[in-house]
Amino acid sequence: MYGWIWRHLPGNTWVKALISVLLGLAVVFVLFQWVFPWAEPLLPFNDVTVDQGMAATR
Amino acid sequence: MTASGIDEDRDGSAMSPEPRRGWRTFASVVSVIGELLITAGLILGLFVVYSLWWTNVLADRESHKQSDQVRKHWAAAPPGPKGPGALDTKDGIGFLHVPAMDNGEVLVKKGTDNDILNEGVAGYYTKPVKSALPQDKQGNFALAAHRDGHGAKFHNIDKLKVGDPIVFETKDTWYVYKVYATLPQTSKYNVNVLDKIPAESGKHKAGRYITLTTCTPVYTSDYRYIVWGELERTEKVDADRTPPEELR
Repeated sequence: MYGWIWRHLPGNTWVKALISVLLGLAVVFVLFQWVFPWAEPLLPFNDVTVDQGMAATR
Repeated sequence: MTASGIDEDRDGSAMSPEPRRGWRTFASVVSVIGELLITAGLILGLFVVYSLWWTNVLADRESHKQSDQVRKHWAAAPPGPKGPGALDTKDGIGFLHVPAMDNGEVLVKKGTDNDILNEGVAGYYTKPVKSALPQDKQGNFALAAHRDGHGAKFHNIDKLKVGDPIVFETKDTWYVYKVYATLPQTSKYNVNVLDKIPAESGKHKAGRYITLTTCTPVYTSDYRYIVWGELERTEKVDADRTPPEELR
């Protein structure tokens, strides 16, 4: 998969490396900006209030 | 790959092409699965970084901004006779100072929904129980905040011991509470801890109480950690906003 991407990037090795780094940063940005904020409330790691259960309050 | 692949195919066809091609397909499937697993591991690692570091950065930035705004509004209308501006519930009603938690001041806002608590503030309950406010004659001022991530304002709640002060600062009054009971672990459905007279803390008479709630153990939210305090005295805020002796 990563090998396939690498082969399909244009340019010589340095250009490919630069584009790879930029792609990686773009993925991290998308994750931090949209994916993780969406996923976090769905995971049971950070509920701090007492309530009568999800059904009763939401 | 395509160029070299064709070459290899040509070489292979001389020997036995069919088993080799099958093997190559199998190997590439395995390597894709392996790469996907590595990717999943990296994403989980990044999620930990996000939860425990990045949300704190965002929340601290947001809460500083909002705290500055509240301070500015207070400064614009200095303390005086109680007016409509005395308690601004939209911006945040005041600041919580807990020396034992060693995290400075925590802005307190209305509500305990995630979108509020994620701003790096503490919220007072509006549901399932409507919290009292500090200036009420009696009742329970019930607060919640994050233990980890999003500012982690109650991270050090376990450092609070009986007798420690909890000070709440409003525009014109310091409310000095003393911790009298803690409950290191309780069910997340235990809404009784927010009662007007929290019986579980050993109280049976109406009074002016404060309740802090957050999740426990750290990094998870299987249970809730509760700290109860009782109002000891109040002090008028002077022109210099001199803090009460507990904070000096």
